[in-house]
Amino acid sequence: MSGRPSNARLLEVRGLNVSYEGREGPVRAIEDLDFHVDAGETLAIVGESGSGKSTVAMAVSGLLGSEAQVAGTAELLGRDVISAPEAERRRRRGVEVGIVFQDPFTSLNPGLTVARQVTEGLIHHRKVSPGKARRRALDVLGEVGLQEPEQLLELYPHQLSGGMQQRVLIASALMCDPKFLVLDEPTTALDVTIEARILDLLDDIRRRRGLGMLFITHNLGVVNRIADRVCVLYSGRIAEIGRKTEVLTLPRHPYTKGLLASLPVLAANRERHSLAPIPGQMPQPGDRSAGCVFRPRCPFSEARCEEPQALVRVEESQSVRCWKADLVVDLPWPVERRQRVSRKRLDDETDTKPLLVAQDLRKTFRGAAIRKTIWRRRFGIPLPYQPRRVVRAINGVSLDIMEGEVLGLVGESGSGKSTLGQAIVRLIEVDSGKVLFQGQDVTTLSQERDFRSKAQVVFQNPDSSLNPRRAIGPAIARAVMLHSTVRRADMRSQVEALLDRVGLPRSFYDRYPHQLSGGERQRVGIARALATRPRFILCDEPTSALDVSVQATVLNVLADLREEERLSYLFISHDLSVVAHISDRVAVMYAGNIVEIGTTEQVLAPPFHPYTEALLSAIPRTDPGTAERSRIALRSDAPVGGEATGCPFSGRCPRRIGHVCDEVVPPVQTGLAGHRVVCHIPLEELAATQAAEDPPPNGATRQRDASGRR
Amino acid sequence: MDEIAEAPSGRGWRMLRHIPGKLRIGGGIVLLLIVLAILAPIVTMHSPTQINVVERLSPPNAVFWFGTDEYGRDVFARVLHGGRLSLAMGFAATLITFLFGVPLGLIAGYVGGRLDGLLMRAMDVLMSFPPIMLGLLILAVTDPSLWKSILAVGIVYVPVVVRLVRSRTMELVHEEYILAARARGEGLAYILAREILPNAWPMIIVEASLRVTFAILLAAALSFLGMGAQPPSSDWGLMISEARPFVNQAPWIALAPGFVMCIAVVGINLFGDGLREMLDPRLKSKGGA
Repeated sequence: MSGRPSNARLLEVRGLNVSYEGREGPVRAIEDLDFHVDAGETLAIVGESGSGKSTVAMAVSGLLGSEAQVAGTAELLGRDVISAPEAERRRRRGVEVGIVFQDPFTSLNPGLTVARQVTEGLIHHRKVSPGKARRRALDVLGEVGLQEPEQLLELYPHQLSGGMQQRVLIASALMCDPKFLVLDEPTTALDVTIEARILDLLDDIRRRRGLGMLFITHNLGVVNRIADRVCVLYSGRIAEIGRKTEVLTLPRHPYTKGLLASLPVLAANRERHSLAPIPGQMPQPGDRSAGCVFRPRCPFSEARCEEPQALVRVEESQSVRCWKADLVVDLPWPVERRQRVSRKRLDDETDTKPLLVAQDLRKTFRGAAIRKTIWRRRFGIPLPYQPRRVVRAINGVSLDIMEGEVLGLVGESGSGKSTLGQAIVRLIEVDSGKVLFQGQDVTTLSQERDFRSKAQVVFQNPDSSLNPRRAIGPAIARAVMLHSTVRRADMRSQVEALLDRVGLPRSFYDRYPHQLSGGERQRVGIARALATRPRFILCDEPTSALDVSVQATVLNVLADLREEERLSYLFISHDLSVVAHISDRVAVMYAGNIVEIGTTEQVLAPPFHPYTEALLSAIPRTDPGTAERSRIALRSDAPVGGEATGCPFSGRCPRRIGHVCDEVVPPVQTGLAGHRVVCHIPLEELAATQAAEDPPPNGATRQRDASGRR
Repeated sequence: MDEIAEAPSGRGWRMLRHIPGKLRIGGGIVLLLIVLAILAPIVTMHSPTQINVVERLSPPNAVFWFGTDEYGRDVFARVLHGGRLSLAMGFAATLITFLFGVPLGLIAGYVGGRLDGLLMRAMDVLMSFPPIMLGLLILAVTDPSLWKSILAVGIVYVPVVVRLVRSRTMELVHEEYILAARARGEGLAYILAREILPNAWPMIIVEASLRVTFAILLAAALSFLGMGAQPPSSDWGLMISEARPFVNQAPWIALAPGFVMCIAVVGINLFGDGLREMLDPRLKSKGGA
């Protein structure tokens, strides 16, 4: 981006190699890495899990332990970090380079106040007095956009929301005025709306302070949003490095092409087609060939790819490790573009009746509020922590799912979407409300067994969705056996047929979960769900833990199955682009309420609910034109839950119209063809203002009167 | 793909080659003691109950390796035969402990709520007694006999095992494969026995191996107090008890069983520690192939 104060080189990495001692000799995690970062510039290192991107961050910040064998140099401000003794590295860490790690929830010590954690670096490195450090902390906390820093300093990490914790971490990285920031997936654990705010903040800080930033991420959208240059890492080697605009618009390495092709595209009027996954999986660091490491998965590979590949400069600032780059640059990533059948077509074939109807479901979790008052009364002092409030996880939700329909459910963490999903398949008991499945109330126990076979679940976490002590075959066979009368002799073929259906080899029958990759395990989970011959599957974030290339495979399997079997899904995800890709209709959930529901096209186009609008604008896209797009600024990081009397979103809503939002429950407004928006602003007005502001200007925050938090 | 297919056997071999030294030494000691106890009549020609007044209280020599006691009985033969009883009591009591403890722990951890609270408070009451007191209490209300002392020792350690299994179960309850089992309509018994138990096994086995030493020691202590094995049959605890009047005159009568008991306890502890090193999930690397 523009406005660089100088072209001073902050970091110069040359010939970086990192290897670990393995059982069969050294394992090379990073091979021959060369890159540099100038002042005022952001270099993004992008790669999937196992690419070695975090190792780069550790090496550059001098955090690699003695078990790592490091070769090469990493000159930070002209002095090498790699060869420096540990004492010197420690002295420079925090002073010259600020580091922010991925998970704000574990990066802060839960037992220390914010004040301790923010000031200790300054006190230790600069020998500043605690009082002075505290005053400086107030300035920096203000700079990272935290309100009321004075009070904040006395709080403990668990009293802050995730976004606030990440801001505190960024603040403590900035305390000693470093010239360089290393950010290892700083927004991955956060919701998109908060991610957008943090990315804005980082960009702002970089510009203001002229910092150099090394930004590690797996998300190409985030790269597009924040980086000046991109380094695509694959299996420990640079596949491609260059200016962001060039790499993202004209990727030259097949791997970059594949990564971009496997992303679901978020667009209101899109063709429905299958995604383009990258076949296979990344080689383990131990079994890399001398030639191109991407060759086994590359659709353009030839014999010559087995020779070692050099990183060749193709443009002024773009280098690619592929001899064929010039030949394939104009070729698209090959994919069997399967046209998807829309539900409309399915509707025409048979008349549609609702398969599953949820009526006014409610579920409340209660915290330790009573204990607090007893404590207060008896000892007259407040508890050192905030008691948990009553959380309305599901607050009167009604929805229906047609035969053969995919209903997407999108919401941020804590919105209650998983609770709603589990309530619908009756894995948790609701406080009130009914679930009708094929017209029958399944809250009564007598139907339970039949319902269990017809409604199945695909879970989120590939590490925990399969029992580690049970082979794949028997795990699926158990589900088959439970709900059908398949003879023991036919069982194996039955299970193998299920494995075929999800595109896994039959030899997986005797494997154990630890021998499978995440995507494969997820497909086993799907096969297990199919084994009972369900009509309905709850997909609870089935791809959230997967890399994008693998996510595409799993989404394709789910979409294919749904067409072949006319299955209905409730597809839960925090990622609106994934939900929009697979769903016929989309429901947007916020703080236990469905705030908008309609067909995918309706939800992705105005009129939006203000929250949907904010979600859409927060999603980092990969097309470079949208990088500079301004976003809607939400008024607070923290989703305000608890017992809201009015609209649950009013505390953060940029379109809040006044006290009516805080005090009156908003009406359900019905638009065209079942499109429903729960908001005080009339649909026509929403449609008019939103269409006019598309893309909406940054100053979308009206009515700043009320405080963001209650 | 092919490498992965070969992984299981490769892993198995590597695991065999990487058996911790503690496990080998401990296992060797335990195995040796068990074999000696079982083969006692073959290992020694002497009978443990043969009274030989001429040779009474003779110190260890070539004929009587550990000497003789006040009736001239061969101490070596008595230690070996006593080992049968002591070891059997230890193992049997541990078996009882886990027979009660594992199911209770699974149910308390999985069901939770009021049942869990009730069960755990009951366990707390049991735990609040010192083990030897509780053992004596159980035996005092009835006539002492061998099987009762085994039962008493077994019950004494149930709360420890319940707590352990319960906490492991509570960890596992939130795994998605448990949710998946519930979602396909599995019953309580299946989920406990087939989904949770297999994942708790390594920890249970390790704990059981360490519990055996406690059981052996407690059983010996009860016998020492006359509440366990009854004369003329004898275990290590009773032997030490009977040797007490002659400690100054013929210390070997008490030392021999004590010494063997020490070896047994150290061996079993080594075995358990080694097993823990090999099976403990915290020491094993997580994740897939």
